[in-house]
Formats: sequence, C-alpha cells, structure tokens
Amino acid sequence: MLCIETRNLTKKYASTVAVDGVDLQIESGQVFGFLGPNGAGKSTIIKLLTTLISPSNGKISVLGMDSAKHPLEIRKKIGVVLQQPSYEPTLSAEKSLEKYGMMWNIDKKIRKKRTEELISAFGLEEIRKKKMDDLSIGQRRRVQVAREFMHDMELLFLDEPTVGLDPAARRKLLDFLREQVKNSGLTIFYTTHVLSEAEYLCDNIAIINNGKIIAVDSPSELKNRFGHEKTIKIHISKVSEELKSKLSEIRECQIKLEPEPTVIINSTKSEIVLMNILKILNETETKINDLSAIPTNLEEIFLKIVGDSN
Amino acid sequence: MIQINPIIRLVNRNLTISINPGFIIWQILFPLIYIFIAGFAYTALIDSVPFGGKNLDYPAFLASGMIGFNIMNSTLISGIIIWNDRRHGMFEQIMSGPFTRTHYILSNIVTIAIIGLFSAALITAVGYPVFFNSVEFSIVTILLIIFGSVVGAILFGSIASIISTKLRSSEGFNVIINTVFLFCAFASTAFYPVQGAPQPLATIFYLNPLSYLVDIIRAGIFGQVTDFVITEMLLLIALAAILFVIATKLLTKLDF
Ligand SMILES: Nc1ncnc2c1ncn2[C@@H]1O[C@H](COP(=O)(O)OP(=O)(O)OP(=O)(O)O)[C@@H](O)[C@H]1O
Ligand SMILES: [Mg+2]
Repeated sequence: MLCIETRNLTKKYASTVAVDGVDLQIESGQVFGFLGPNGAGKSTIIKLLTTLISPSNGKISVLGMDSAKHPLEIRKKIGVVLQQPSYEPTLSAEKSLEKYGMMWNIDKKIRKKRTEELISAFGLEEIRKKKMDDLSIGQRRRVQVAREFMHDMELLFLDEPTVGLDPAARRKLLDFLREQVKNSGLTIFYTTHVLSEAEYLCDNIAIINNGKIIAVDSPSELKNRFGHEKTIKIHISKVSEELKSKLSEIRECQIKLEPEPTVIINSTKSEIVLMNILKILNETETKINDLSAIPTNLEEIFLKIVGDSN
Repeated sequence: MIQINPIIRLVNRNLTISINPGFIIWQILFPLIYIFIAGFAYTALIDSVPFGGKNLDYPAFLASGMIGFNIMNSTLISGIIIWNDRRHGMFEQIMSGPFTRTHYILSNIVTIAIIGLFSAALITAVGYPVFFNSVEFSIVTILLIIFGSVVGAILFGSIASIISTKLRSSEGFNVIINTVFLFCAFASTAFYPVQGAPQPLATIFYLNPLSYLVDIIRAGIFGQVTDFVITEMLLLIALAAILFVIATKLLTKLDF
C-alpha cells in the first residue's frame, strides 16, 4: 500500500522555491530515508506532508487521504518529531511523556506503562525527575523522540532525530526504530545528514537537492548505480616479469610492491576487471594470498550525486 | 463540528503547565493582601464611594474592583502559554497532532475563564466580610460574575494572544503586555471611582474595557443593575467578539 504519494509538490517562499515539483511514492512498512544538503528542502517537505503548511502547488496524499481535504484525520494517524526542539520547560521528563500521552487521548493505564517502557528504552532513568528546562540538549532530544512513541501511529516523521545524541544513544535509537518497523508495521520517514545512519536504517533513500529529488533507490542499488571506482586489492606472493607485462595491458589496475606485492583494481566495472586479472594470475601461476574489496560508502555517492546535480 | 474532547485535553495540559507557586502568589495571594492592606489604608483618605444609589466603603469598592482586575490578570496566562508554546516548539508540535487551531484557541480561552472564575470566586468569598454592609447577594451576582469571567477571558485573552502572535523577542512581549495591562488597571474604575476624577481621565476610564467589566461585577455584587450596566454588557460582548475574531485570524495565519 502507498503510504505517501505526492504529485508535482511545490512550495514557494518569497524568493526561494523550497520544494520544486516533487513526485514521491512511498510504500508502507519501511524506513524511508531523506538525504540532502542544508537548505535542500527536507524539513519543508516534512511540514507539507504533516499538514503544518500548505503547498503552493501540487497534491499530497498521506495514508490514502488528501491532505487538503482531511488534514486533521491525517494528523491523528501520524507522529512527528520536528527538527527544532519542542518541550514543556516546566515539566519533568517523565511528566512530559505522561502529559503528551494524555493529549493524545491514551488511556491512563496504558500511558503509565508506556512511560516506563520508553524511559527504559531511551535510557532516561536518571533524568526522569529532572525538569525539561534543566536537561542537556541531547537529553531533551531523547525525551522529544521518546515522547512521540506515547501514542499509536501508522506513519512517523523524524527530522534529524539523532542530532546531539551520543554514539551509544544514537545506536540505541536506530535499533529501537528498526524494532518498531519490524514489530508494528510502522512506516518511518527519516531525514539525516549522517549517511552511515541512513545506510544502517533505511530500506530506501531519496536524495534531494535544491528542492528537487535527484535519486530514489535502496542504499545498495544507489551504490550499484553511482558507486563508481570500486577498489579491489589482490595480495599475491610474488611479482614476475611475465605478470608485469601482461598486467600492463589492463589499464584499470596497478601493481604495488610495498609493503607486500599487491594488484590494485580501481574501476567502475571492477568485477569484470577482476575476472581478467584472475585469468592472468592463473596463467602466470601466481599464488593469491588474500583478496579484499573496499566498499564504496554512501557518503561518496552522496557527494557525487549532489555535486553532479549542482 | 467542533469536538469538545480535544479542547478538554488541551485545557488539562494548559493548567498543568501554568499552575506553579509563582503564579498562585501573583494571582491569588497578591490581590487578597492588596484588598486588606490598601483597602484599609486608604479608608482614612477616602470616606465612602457613591455607586448607583449606594455609598460603599472604600475596601468594599476596592475588593469588588479587584475581581475584575484579577479576571484581566488571569488572561495573561493565555498570552504566556501561546508565547511559550511558540518559543519552545510546542505550538508546532500541537498543530501537527490531533488538534486544530480552533481547538488551541478555545482551550486557551477556557483555561483563562476557569482561572479567572476560580480567582473571582475566591476573592468574592474572602472579600465577603468586607462587602458585608452593602452586598445584595442573589442569583444575579453569580450570573454576572460568571459573565464577567467568561467575556473578560475572551476579551483580554484575545488582546494577550494578539500581542503574543505579533512579537518575536521575549523582552518585548513582557514589556508590552505589562504596559498594556498596567494601563488598563490604573486607567479604570477598578481602584478609583469615576466620580470626582477630572473629565479627561473619566473619558479615558470609559475607553477602557476593564472599567466596563468592573462596573458589571460591582453591579452584580451590590445589586445595582441599571440600563447603563446592560449597555456596558452589550459593548463588552461586541468588543470581545471583534477581538476574538482578530486573534483567531492572526493565530491561523501564524506560519511555521
Ligand atoms: N518560512 C520560510 N520562509 C522563507 N524561506 C524558507 C522558510 N522555510 C524554509 N525556507 C527556505 O526553504 C529552503 C529549504 O529549507 P528546509 O528547511 O526545508 O531545508 P532542509 O533541507 O531541511 O535543510 P537542513 O538540512 O539545514 O535542515 C531553504 O532555502 C530555506 O531558506
Ligand atoms: Mg531541515
């Protein structure tokens, strides 16, 4: 089922086109990652999809409902953690969760139970009685994200939820989110600048730049499509003259002698090159000690795609 | 159709975040202390105050004025809630949840009406011995105090909302809202009778909605509901309605 669908979605501010004719189709039951440089339009799209602002042009359908016609119905079924902090300064962390559940009309017993579960899942035990005003930025962010799980929802928007979180808290959150998607069929719309995070968490990724979507695919497909210059290293026992001359015909590889004899392949089609080289190594009876591939990371792909689109 | 349930939930939340020791001192203790200290201190200077067909003791006059003043003051809460919600991101958070802007505005009005009514009732009860000589307590008293709390909440709550949507810095918000309310308090019939005031001041008194509010509540307590008071009630309703529409429009236009 389609969870989010937009057609020609556009949002103009006085002098900027923040979102420029975006067509999105997002299936339910996945984590959909949304990447793009500062000012690309990520937060604006989240505000449009959560009905906080209305588009200048185009159509939005969320959970099968037209956002112009049924904004309140949509909001009842979604959760949102916006990019900017949001908290009740005078309430304790625990009371914030509790009251938020009340605002969402969650039964008192369930509220109590969920508060306890979330305090433990987000490691808030030590700060549960502290006032929100007195918390550190990262602690506040954790409460803000935890709070959203006080209510039931079908679709959750997270706008850079891990900003300010330490590595342990970050990993804990990512695993918690994965668990939620697996167990409750929740769909998550997730923006981040941390590409390793997107790679770890997301089933599909869209890359946006200047308000336009420039690529949508799974992380591995993106790598296949844009992951140029994959590097493969073949550690060999010795380098003979015969091997040198035969390899000199293959442009995409080079031989290194230090610290140990190695053939390095650098190519967009490194697998094909590898086949040819393995044949030569066989012919020259060169023994292979070890073989390693250095995977391209999403960060390089991101920089390349955004660079190309500029 | 407007659902009631979301409004009640927001009111619950508003009361939870607003009621704290500082607020209780400002809202309840201060007016009570003021009635007793100032009321009796000034009795030496002001012998009695004519009101309708009666002569009131100054403490009785002041205590009844304090009810109106307190209703106005409790509406500050609405401005503070809106202001804080914008500053701490709660306005957006609520608006992205199961609420509409109408729910939000109505919940603020209900919150301040509850606080206003509560403090009005408390001052009436505590002030009762002070009123004793001249009070004409009846069902009309209760109705007019409720009328004052509700219409006053809408009127001054809208003013506070309008100010809080128009301003960005917190210093500005506090300075302006305090100036406006202080002006309303002192250029009104809450503390001094209009009789005996110089003509320009008397005119200013009656450009001020708090004077109307105070007159209506006094009329209820001392049983002096005249045609003039009924005109004041109608004017207050009209003004509250206009300001409410403006406040709603501004809050609806507020961008994220
Ligand atoms: N209320 C507004 N008024 C005018 N311009 C705006 C407004 N909100 C956003 N913009 C502009 O729209 C563009 C997209 O902003 P947006 O916040 O969506 O970026 P983003 O992708 O979330 O960036 P970041 O990674 O920094 O969070 C920016 O150029 C921004 O200046
Ligand atoms: Mg953003």
